[in-house]
Amino acid sequence: MLKHNNFDSRQSNTSSVGVLDLPFLLLVVLLTLVGVLMMFSASYARARWETENPAYFFVRQAGFAALGILIALIAGRLNYFIWYRLSLGILIVSLFLLILVPIAGVEVNGAKRWIQLGPIQFQPSEIAKLGLVLAFASMMAVWQDKMNSFRYGVAPFAVIMVLIAGLLYLERHLSATLIILMIGAMMMLIGGTQKRWFILGGLVVAVFLVAYVMLFGYASDRVKAWLDPWSDALGKGYQAIQSQNAIGSGGFLGLGLGRSRQKYLYLPEEHNDYIFAIVCEELGFVGAVGILLLFSLLILRGYWISIHARDRFGTLVAAGLTTKLALQVFFNIGVVSGLLPPTGISLPFFSYGGTALLLQLFEMGIILSISRWCVNKESIGGKKA
Amino acid sequence: MSKKSKIKLLKKHVPAYNREKATHAMLRRTSFLMIICGVILFIPLIWRLFDLMIVRHDEFESDAISNQTRSTTVTADRGTIYDCNMNILAASKTVENVFIDPLEINNSHENVDFIANSLAAILNIDANSIREKAAKLDRQYEVIARKREIEEADAVRKFITDNNLSGIHLESDSQRYYPAGTTAAQVIGFTNAENRGGDGLEAYYDDVLQGTAGAVITTKGNYETQMLYSYEKYYEATDGNSLVLTIDSTVQMYLEKNLKAAIEKYDIKNGAFGIIMDVNTGAILAMAIEGSYDPNNYLEIIDLAELENLKKIDEDLKRLSSNSPAYAALIKKYDSAVAAARLKQWRNRCVSDGYEPGSTFKTITLAAALEEHAVDENSSFYCSGAKDYVDRDSTLHCWKSEGHGPETLANALQNSCNIAFADIGMMLGGDKLYDYIDAFGLLEKTGIDMSGEATGVFHTKAMLMENAQLTTVAFGQSVKPTPIQMVRAIAAVVNGGYVLQPYVVSEILDENGNVVEKHGKTILRQAISEDTSKEMCKLIESVVTDGTAGNAKLPGFRVGGKTGTSEKLDVYDENGRQTDDRIVSFVGIAPMDDPQYICLVALDTPSRDTGIYISGGVMAAPVVRDVFADTLLYLGVQPDYTGVDMSTVNIPMPDVRDLTEDEAARVLAEQSLTYETVGSGGTVTGQIPAPNEMLPGNSEVILYMGETVPVDFVTVPDLKGMNPAIARIAMENSGLYLQTKGSSWAYAVVTDQEPAPGTEVVRGSTVTVELTDQTALD
Repeated sequence: MLKHNNFDSRQSNTSSVGVLDLPFLLLVVLLTLVGVLMMFSASYARARWETENPAYFFVRQAGFAALGILIALIAGRLNYFIWYRLSLGILIVSLFLLILVPIAGVEVNGAKRWIQLGPIQFQPSEIAKLGLVLAFASMMAVWQDKMNSFRYGVAPFAVIMVLIAGLLYLERHLSATLIILMIGAMMMLIGGTQKRWFILGGLVVAVFLVAYVMLFGYASDRVKAWLDPWSDALGKGYQAIQSQNAIGSGGFLGLGLGRSRQKYLYLPEEHNDYIFAIVCEELGFVGAVGILLLFSLLILRGYWISIHARDRFGTLVAAGLTTKLALQVFFNIGVVSGLLPPTGISLPFFSYGGTALLLQLFEMGIILSISRWCVNKESIGGKKA
Repeated sequence: MSKKSKIKLLKKHVPAYNREKATHAMLRRTSFLMIICGVILFIPLIWRLFDLMIVRHDEFESDAISNQTRSTTVTADRGTIYDCNMNILAASKTVENVFIDPLEINNSHENVDFIANSLAAILNIDANSIREKAAKLDRQYEVIARKREIEEADAVRKFITDNNLSGIHLESDSQRYYPAGTTAAQVIGFTNAENRGGDGLEAYYDDVLQGTAGAVITTKGNYETQMLYSYEKYYEATDGNSLVLTIDSTVQMYLEKNLKAAIEKYDIKNGAFGIIMDVNTGAILAMAIEGSYDPNNYLEIIDLAELENLKKIDEDLKRLSSNSPAYAALIKKYDSAVAAARLKQWRNRCVSDGYEPGSTFKTITLAAALEEHAVDENSSFYCSGAKDYVDRDSTLHCWKSEGHGPETLANALQNSCNIAFADIGMMLGGDKLYDYIDAFGLLEKTGIDMSGEATGVFHTKAMLMENAQLTTVAFGQSVKPTPIQMVRAIAAVVNGGYVLQPYVVSEILDENGNVVEKHGKTILRQAISEDTSKEMCKLIESVVTDGTAGNAKLPGFRVGGKTGTSEKLDVYDENGRQTDDRIVSFVGIAPMDDPQYICLVALDTPSRDTGIYISGGVMAAPVVRDVFADTLLYLGVQPDYTGVDMSTVNIPMPDVRDLTEDEAARVLAEQSLTYETVGSGGTVTGQIPAPNEMLPGNSEVILYMGETVPVDFVTVPDLKGMNPAIARIAMENSGLYLQTKGSSWAYAVVTDQEPAPGTEVVRGSTVTVELTDQTALD
């Protein structure tokens, strides 16, 4: 109680509560609007085929988007210190949910990664990512002076990461495992863990990765289908070929908004993981690069907020969440364009999925709240504002 | 309370942190991450998108479009093949193929068993085969029934709409049909399952007949869904052109009928063939190869012996286990036997294979010798039955071992004397004979517009310079031209010497029936003078009137021709010895005063078991005569009965009922008929034969004057072996009329009769007998 008050009084001394970072907020709103619009276009044929209502997915997604922006604004108004206090709790709850997945999870497309809670369906791995970012930030903020030791700078984080990776391993969720490990590693990098541990960790991950690919046939088949989709054009390579056909058809200016042809049930997952292929087909290279630019700006602004955060917790949370966003974008578009082997990663703001969008906007809200306490925005990285 | 304790708990485990600004090191590392995640990571993505969307755009676009569009072929109608009277010989009709899209059926969760059983019932096919095809989920096009009539296709369409099914489709196709069946099958050929010409004119003129297929290209969503923005493109089909042939189906039919009859009568082992050509233009009126096949069902083997052989192999197969090597070997044997039998029945022997013309070749030798004045009509020869020639090791024997004795030039041809022709060859010389063989076009393809034409087998000029070869070739042995080469050469002998390019297609019509191409008479060269040709016509006619071709006589028409009988070259028995198989032939020309049509008939390997002497004069000449009898009138050749014994000509019985005797007598006299009356009435109340029955001229008919006509049947006696006079008496005794055909020689014998002995016929019917001069041994 005392600490809490102390914290409040200190912040008012060192810096004043400002307004939400407007560029960041605008980028978030813009990407959400574009995302929902493109989701409508991409899901049009599928919705009509499955429900006879072409706007079926759009209406739901639009509702979640509106709610999500509201949540982001509310989260932006909150003092982000509350996430410091709830961080371990969120992590523990997400671990519990991860344990629950193999027991009571819901299977979607042959993978058990979801939990049904009343009308809401969500992936606990998404919550685990948030939990990890908040918990790591809290721990690093507390142990900031001891981060160069193994006991504080490596061991606790490694234990949590191995624990989460182990649970995700049970779900056969390679992509989420990789992203979580990468987010954790990047946060440790910022938090002050010594560099040699990253080399060691990188080696360990590489060994696991090779073992994983060798152990699971479906994964190595995926790799094969990635390197040469035409070897099984109607089977494992089908999605990759259809996706690249969609992207390639787009050309410089695209077929025009709403005029994708591949979305007419040729490309599976066209409004989920593979939505960016439809974006490319309709909006062309110009539109696709424009959207990448928006993402890039949002990410750069996220790190900017991180750098200008009032305190270390804020820096670490903003950096962690921004890194998470960047990795999701990179992996999703990498997979959709065939640059990376296919795995199930959704594209933030674009892919269909209400809870994922809510969570994403909530995370953006946390960054917005950090932005409110940003120190002297004119000087970057000063010891003291 | 609970909130307080929770915070306490947190405080215990997570100590409060220093709320200081991040250190320099932290911010440096964050800035590093900022560059990586905000800029560097986007570089490979943009590079990749640039590669896919700009560099390889065309490749992906065309791939996507081929995937997103359905191209429906608009089939072009294949042209029709008509005979010279525009009767359809080959035409196409629209049929439909039924195919399924197994993926679509699966994706729409249709009941496969229901579909399989229903379609099997509608299309009369095996339901299991449909189930098997429906299980191929990697396929989107599996044809389950080909070339079905529109009625069946309509039934399938109704089934689809009634049950609102997905994944069953129809496409239009075209089916070739041949209304005349086996008629001129090897000439017309057939089309294969892909509607392309497989053989004959269908193959030779495939490009002309085929036309260009069109297409409708439409965009479609996967699973046949509609697209919001779709486009459609239509490429029109151009129908194929049609062919008008020089073939006359009527003439063709008569040629085939008579060939079939000859095969039956003489038990011909290896088929028969014939060609009828216009000697002045080279137009082919008929070209027949027996046994023929049905192009509607071209894969079916028609040769009975071959079928028997296949059945035997099939039975052997059933005894063997299906995985033994013997089984595999036998299967191979079966397949190759089937393939060989098909190739044989499709083969047009008239243009693709050589044959042994035998003595018919003597016309060429003689024409050359006359043109070169090596001989003239006053030349004389002597045949003792055998003769030795310088540089010829073996003695040359004439086919008549006792010899023909002294002969004029005409006698030499009439007798088909080998020794006289060997002499003529010696007089002419090998180099000259070779030059004429060349000039008559026997060393080159005729250029007829049919596929697979071959050139025959001939000696080189150097070989003909040796007496041994020259003497043999001069009387027509050891040469092997194709039938079409031989027909063209002999046509040139009688048409004024003009070597023509034979043809079967006279016109090519476009889809609206306009003539786009016309074929006609093509003279390649003149081999002999018109005078020599006229002289040859006289000599050739005398072979029928006074020579070995007496059996080819046709009352009212001036028929000429030359017989031929040859041992078959290159045919060996299982011991490797040359067999004694023969091929007999006759080349007939009519009318001889102004030659118009030439007809070659060859019978390959007559059986030795019929008791009939194997020779062109005995066997082939009557076939040509019958063909001429059936077709010359039809072709517009007017008969001339002056000086013809009317009893050899059939005339229709006039209707004299209700006439007085005097009136009836006048009518009958006009038709060269005499009469006898029964009864004493004033008018004719009945007559035998009945009106319009055919009976020989000069016959006596019976008129009933008030008496009723007796309706009684008489048994046709067996006339075989009788000479004409005895046969006539036998007929009169039976109350029947005798009509003869063939030889007019008093010592010719009846070799065949129609109706057959023992048949019950109405009194006053006519029995036609075949009189054969059995001394026509060549």
